[in-house]
Amino acid sequence: MGYTIIEKIIRGHTDEEVRAGEIVWLDLDVRSARDFGGPNVVKNFCREFGDTPVSDRSKTFFTFDLCVPACTLQYADNQQVCRDFARAKGFKVFDVDEGIGSHVLIERGLAASGSTVVGTDSHMNILGAVGCFGQGMGDVDITFAFKTGKIWFQVPESLKVFVRGEPSSGFSAKDLTLYIVKQLGTKKAALKSVEFYGEAVRKLSISGRITLCSMVTEMAGIIGFIPEFKDSVASEIKSLSGEEFNHPYADKDAVYSDAITIDIDGLGPQVAAPFLPTNVKDVGDLEEVKIDSGFIGCCTNGRFEDLKAAARVLKGKKVKDGVMLKIVPATRKVYKQLLEKGTLKDLFESGAIISNPGCGGCAQGHIGLTGKGEVQISTGNRNFEGKQGKGQNYLASPAVVAASCILGHIAGPEDI
Amino acid sequence: MNKGKVWKYGDNVNTDVIFPGKYTYVLMEPEEMAKHALEDLDPGFAAQVKAGDIIVAGRNFGCGSSREQAASCLKYAGVQAVIAVSFARIFFRNAINQGLPVVQSEKAVRNISAGEEVEVDFESGQIKAEKGTFKFHALPDSVLNILQAGGLIEYTKLFIKNDGT
Repeated sequence: MGYTIIEKIIRGHTDEEVRAGEIVWLDLDVRSARDFGGPNVVKNFCREFGDTPVSDRSKTFFTFDLCVPACTLQYADNQQVCRDFARAKGFKVFDVDEGIGSHVLIERGLAASGSTVVGTDSHMNILGAVGCFGQGMGDVDITFAFKTGKIWFQVPESLKVFVRGEPSSGFSAKDLTLYIVKQLGTKKAALKSVEFYGEAVRKLSISGRITLCSMVTEMAGIIGFIPEFKDSVASEIKSLSGEEFNHPYADKDAVYSDAITIDIDGLGPQVAAPFLPTNVKDVGDLEEVKIDSGFIGCCTNGRFEDLKAAARVLKGKKVKDGVMLKIVPATRKVYKQLLEKGTLKDLFESGAIISNPGCGGCAQGHIGLTGKGEVQISTGNRNFEGKQGKGQNYLASPAVVAASCILGHIAGPEDI
Repeated sequence: MNKGKVWKYGDNVNTDVIFPGKYTYVLMEPEEMAKHALEDLDPGFAAQVKAGDIIVAGRNFGCGSSREQAASCLKYAGVQAVIAVSFARIFFRNAINQGLPVVQSEKAVRNISAGEEVEVDFESGQIKAEKGTFKFHALPDSVLNILQAGGLIEYTKLFIKNDGT
């Protein structure tokens, strides 16, 4: 009997028998915490282990991305608590200037294919995009991970998803992702490792792979993998990590809990209406929805390619009077690309507000909460009530958000 | 393990009714937390629960937020174990990390009534109840070791001592 992708990665990190359902001790290649969760990890660690070292400081990191630079005293204090701890223990902090932690780990080659990474971020499974088993955990787990380099984990079952069909030309990675979230809901992939196959996913760039894998969390899954890819993806990842991109593959006789085929033939842009990420519709099927604001960024859609897609729609046009468009690049590296390629100028001249990199706009705490009655269209991954303030959030692709901000109502880029 | 009296509840017992959100950033002391266990589900529970009692519930026990107090308040209230048809993922992790044993058995849940005395044997994977003995998929040694140590923090101390790291 063969092994699935998740079973293969776990087998490489434990001596125990690995099969879906078994609980094993997993060796961790990277353990991290953010400015949320991190301060509790420090508190737990100091209380229980005092002045003793972390198990391996070269594999331990803080990544500050939630409230950067701090806009409340509490966050400022918490970040300083973490900095002091990291200095005392001698490990690295990716500080408030760097951007979203999971993306920074990818860019720095710290999320290698086949490796294991944990952090205090529920979207840490985004690392599945580069064939790495990433997982978000609570502060007790992460304290243990800092001290021992291990975590206990129940090997998940795997689900196979085939995507077939030829969508229309304006169908982006986010549209694909939203449509898959709609089809799988929160039950079919629950607690599973999802393996995506088919031409539409094989063709995805790194940023598209990140978009799809990030929303496995909204499908209630453990992690998503895309084992087939273009040569350009492999060479780009190699250039980041300096190592060959060896995405783990599943054996032919691996055991899956189920296999599902999703047909995207002829589909166009998709939007998730409030207040559930699964509440997905064709943009064309929406009644006219006037908007007050737009947001482009976050771990789902904050790569250069995402912002470039928005800039293609916005270039030479203006954000409609009375609408605000907030843009947050995922990382400092993305910001630099925007600068060097002139994209920042196109975005700026359209009237958009461009902030420093981080989780702002998606996590509460920075750039633009929504007020009661405000309607926002966002490239985020969650539109739960209260997630970004009191307003109503629609989820869509960068191109749809850009087009909607020009027109003042939700629309696809082909409507411009 | 010793026999314990059963408190029985339904499906989807969420973390807000196990430990109210308004206390999550306020209460820290174990005795205080125990006083509010299941406050919004069963207001009589905290005053009447005895050390060694057992909670039996339906599907998806502990769904909702990731707060670790949902598991720890039950432990501090003296609950010996929770038997449910299924557990929410984060609660399952938190319970084991806090040293609160969790058992999955749909058959046992269907056959056990509120107020009866049951006995859970974790090593053999059996629940002895009035209507019979129900087997469950025993937790692996790795998890039993965490539970026996009293939770992940205590286990870490043993782990470090034994490993010499």
